[in-house]
Order: sequence, then C-alpha cells, then structure tokens
Amino acid sequence: MADLSVSLNRLTLKNPILVASGTFGYAKEMTAFVEFAHLGGIIPKTVTPQPRPGNPPPRTVETASGMLNSIGLDNDGFDQFVAEKLPYLTGLGTSIVVNIAGKTNDDFRRMATRLNEVPGVSAIELNISCPNVSGGVDFGTDPSLAAEVVAAVRESCSIPVIAKLTPNVTSVVPIAKAVADAGADAVSLINTFQGMAVDWKRRRPVLGNVLGGLSGPAIKPLALRIIWQVSQQVKIPIIGIGGIQSIDDVMEFFLVGATAVQIGTANFYNPGLANQIIRELPEALATLKAESVKDIVGTLQIPKRD
Amino acid sequence: MSEYSSTLPGMMLCAKQHQAKIVAVRAMAQDTWAVKVHAPELAATITPGQFFMIRPATGSDPLLGRPFALFDIVRDAAGQPTGVEFGFVKVGKMTTLMSQWSKGDEVSVWGPLGNGFPVPECRHLICVAGGIGQTPFLGVIREALGLESYGIPPRSITTRPQQVSLCYGVRSAGYLAGIEEFTIPGLDLQIATDDGSTGHQGYVTQLLQNKLAQNSDGVHVYCCGPEPMMKAVAEICKAAAVPCWLSLETPMACGFGACFSCVTKVVEPDGSWDYRRTCVEGPVFRAEQLVL
Repeated sequence: MADLSVSLNRLTLKNPILVASGTFGYAKEMTAFVEFAHLGGIIPKTVTPQPRPGNPPPRTVETASGMLNSIGLDNDGFDQFVAEKLPYLTGLGTSIVVNIAGKTNDDFRRMATRLNEVPGVSAIELNISCPNVSGGVDFGTDPSLAAEVVAAVRESCSIPVIAKLTPNVTSVVPIAKAVADAGADAVSLINTFQGMAVDWKRRRPVLGNVLGGLSGPAIKPLALRIIWQVSQQVKIPIIGIGGIQSIDDVMEFFLVGATAVQIGTANFYNPGLANQIIRELPEALATLKAESVKDIVGTLQIPKRD
Repeated sequence: MSEYSSTLPGMMLCAKQHQAKIVAVRAMAQDTWAVKVHAPELAATITPGQFFMIRPATGSDPLLGRPFALFDIVRDAAGQPTGVEFGFVKVGKMTTLMSQWSKGDEVSVWGPLGNGFPVPECRHLICVAGGIGQTPFLGVIREALGLESYGIPPRSITTRPQQVSLCYGVRSAGYLAGIEEFTIPGLDLQIATDDGSTGHQGYVTQLLQNKLAQNSDGVHVYCCGPEPMMKAVAEICKAAAVPCWLSLETPMACGFGACFSCVTKVVEPDGSWDYRRTCVEGPVFRAEQLVL
C-alpha cells in the first residue's frame, strides 16, 4: 500500500489532498457531500479579527473554464469563529489549517496567539494574498512585509505556519524566499489572479466590487508555472493550488514541485472530488512506480536540448 | 451574522451528488425549455420551492452548476418517483447547451437544496408568478390541493386552503409555459400579459390587488419572479397585512453554502441588515426579512 502521508516541515498530513480556504465554507456546509475524515486537511474560510459583511453582490461570475469572485472576506469575526466553528472543525478527524487575514502584524499576532491555545489546530495559513480587500494584499506583494508578518506569527505560536501567496506580482520567487527565510513551514501557491468581467450593453462591471479573483481550470497552467519557478529556488515545501479538477491535475502539481495540493473551485461544482482523488491516488502513484508521494515531488524531467 | 446552527437547515442533510442521465428535453414555450432528469432519490426527497444544481458530467466550460427549482416530479407506471423536471429560459451559455441536451446525456446533479415554500396553512393561497418564476408553483399548488405529497416523510397539511389561485404574468402569450400542467380542477388560474395577447393586459400585480380587494382574510401569498415584480408584490401584501413569501434567484456558484456568492440583504433583529446566503437561508424568505 502506497504511503500517502506527507510532511511540510513541522506539519504532517495523512494525505496530500486539502480543500482550499473560501471553497469549503466552514466544512459543515459540505456534510452531505464529503467524508471529512478521509481528507488530508481542511482549510476553512478566511477569518479576520472583526466581522466583515463582505462585498456587494454580484460576488461571482463564471468566465471561460473559470470564475471570478469578489466575496470580500465575508465572515463573522475571529471570536465567533473560535467559539462556534472551531470546536466543530477540530472534531472532524482531519487536520485543520486555520486561514487568517489581518491588516497589521499585530492583527496576525493576536490571532496566532489565541489559536496556539486551541487544541486540534494543525497549522495556520496566512492569507496575505486576497485580491478583494484593501489592506491585506500589500503584505503579499512586498518581500519584506511578507517576511515581517510571517516572523510575527512564528514568534506568537508554536504551530506550523503556511504563507498563502498571491500570483499578482512580477515574480513570486522573491516573496517565497522571504517568507521561507522568516520561518514559514510551507507556502501555498497560489491565490487567485486579479481579473475583471464587463457587461458592455449596460456599460457596467459584472461584479459589485468591479474587480475579482480568477480561479478554476483556466488558471492551472499559470499555477504550474509559478510552482515550478518557486520550487527551483526555494527550499520549503509548496502546497499547490490552481484549477485542480482531477487526479491527473494533482499528479502534474506533484511533478513540478508541490508536496501537497488544495482543491478549490472544483468543490463548488464537484463537492465529492477531493474524496475521489484520494481514492485514485494510490493507482496514479503506482503508474509511476512510486511508493509514496514524496518519491514523485519535483521529479519532472526536462529533456536535454540538442 | 447568523447563528451557526441556522446556516444548515435540516433539508440539507438529505442532499446528495448524483451522476444522472437526461430522460427528455422539450420546448415549453417561446425561448423556454423543460428537461427531465432520471434522479429517483432527488425526486423522492425534494419539496416545492427547493432547488438543485445541475451541470454536464464532464468538461469545464461551462464550469459551475446552475440552480433550478423543481417543476414536476416524474413518476413510473407504479407512481414511484423516478426523476425531476425543471424549466428554464434560454439566456446564456449553459441554458443554450441545456436546450440541446438529449436523452441519455450524462449530467451531474446535486440536491435537494435550500428551504422551499412552507406547507400552505391558510384559507386562500395566492401564488404570484412572473416569467419562468411559475415553475416552483406546480408542486406548491398540487400539494395545496391535496393532489400530491412531497418529501420523506410526506409533508402533511392540517389546514388545507379552501381556495388556491395562481396569478401568472408574462410578456406575451407565447411565453406562457406549462399551461397544460396548470390546468387543474380546483385551481383559479389568472393570466396577465404585458401586450394583452391573452388574459389581463398589464402587470400581474393588478390581478393580486383584485383578489385582495375581494377578500384578504386568511390569505397567504407565495411569489417568484423578477425582482421589481417581487418588490411590488411585497409592498401590496404589506399594505393589505397579508403574509408574503418570496423565492429569490441570486447568482450562485455551489448551491450549498460554501462559496458565499448568493448573498442578499436580510434584516437583523436590531433593524440593521447583513448579507445572508440565499442558498442555505432561502431561497424562500418572508418578504419582511428582506431589504429589496
């Protein structure tokens, strides 16, 4: 039997298939469709220090093989999350990676300090990459600011720290390097690409927030490219995200350098997918004569040019 | 912001994701189609006003499922539920594709989703429909008239309405969809068209006002249609002190509460409002809950 477990520095997962923040609600919504205990991990929707109503609708629109969203981190705030959602999540029999976003280092520090006290939180994922809110995106586009927030969180807690990075920069590599140097256990690559949809007959943007983040199969080649580039130059493990909708997609992410992956947009249109991929993974590993996931991570072979 | 427990109504627990096959596709009216899907479990559990999501079984463009309300339950010769029929207007990429589906095509369908209309407990139930918004009312009306029951265990009515009306408004006679199905003994069917090609010329809201003017005692109003129409219906009902339920159609990506796309402004106890998810807290709301 293949070994599906993976290690991302201090975080060990029973298998490499997680579900991405913002695409799985707080898990309870998925009860009818998903065997939670079989998942590698669950990353609930981003939580912020204070409640946020989110952006005005329309908040999503479908595009060619993808979708734009501008939810705007609609959530009931950190206290309510810890009191009401976390107890449910930590009882689901899988790793819970809490995704947090703040406007200052202190915001992140305070939430990390509290989460450190909650039994059952496996790791913290820092959302320093949401394209739909002001005040958060700056962390993720500047290597020194990104490093500062990671260092602040590392100092505040002893649980593993993952930085989720934005692709909306010229190169993700310097930012990934900076957060690795600051002590991040892993990077999640990538959040959505900023995009726009227009209703020309009404001379209006389609989204209430004008701009949104593009996700879905349309961005998979971009995600593969960025993971490949980062894996060549940065030592910490990568969690790949971007348009995954099949076991084939997952294997491609492993080969370019991802140690684990997150299923995102596909949860919306195929909520049983993460469980299905986990069932299909041993056979796919066997196809490459691999006995464990780590045997194939970053094993893409580039043919020599003549 | 909601109590966490209230974001997951009991109905959700019987929702399932199914690979299913198309049974039949038919033209219902101008630009309007109806599709039958083989889905026995969904057919057995869905109640009027609830919805399900559907998309092709494979491919990524179109990508997301689309929500549709139950129109009719398909039954076999023994009367057992075998599938669902839903209606839609061909407006975009997915609905154009759906109008070209044929028997045997494979689809992915998940449901039942959301909270449907309450069991009608009143003297006179008036359903007000605009455009394709008539589809949820076939089940509502059959249940109200005691012709069919829905859900497991079957929903029962203690005070069956003595009178059931459907006020149905469309642009023009060609858009009337499902008139054969709505020709039911005991149903008072009233039609309005914008162009006067059949029925009352003008808005469907006038038909509602006429009914309420006759007798508004013990009336409950269920409404589904374009938002301006629902807003007008809500105002008419408020003025007449008649309870009114609206079924919203907001764009949604998942249908089960994960994406937070389909929000609408819902009034809080303190008079402020918060964005709430239509898919899990609706799509049917009491009119006074909403900021329209």
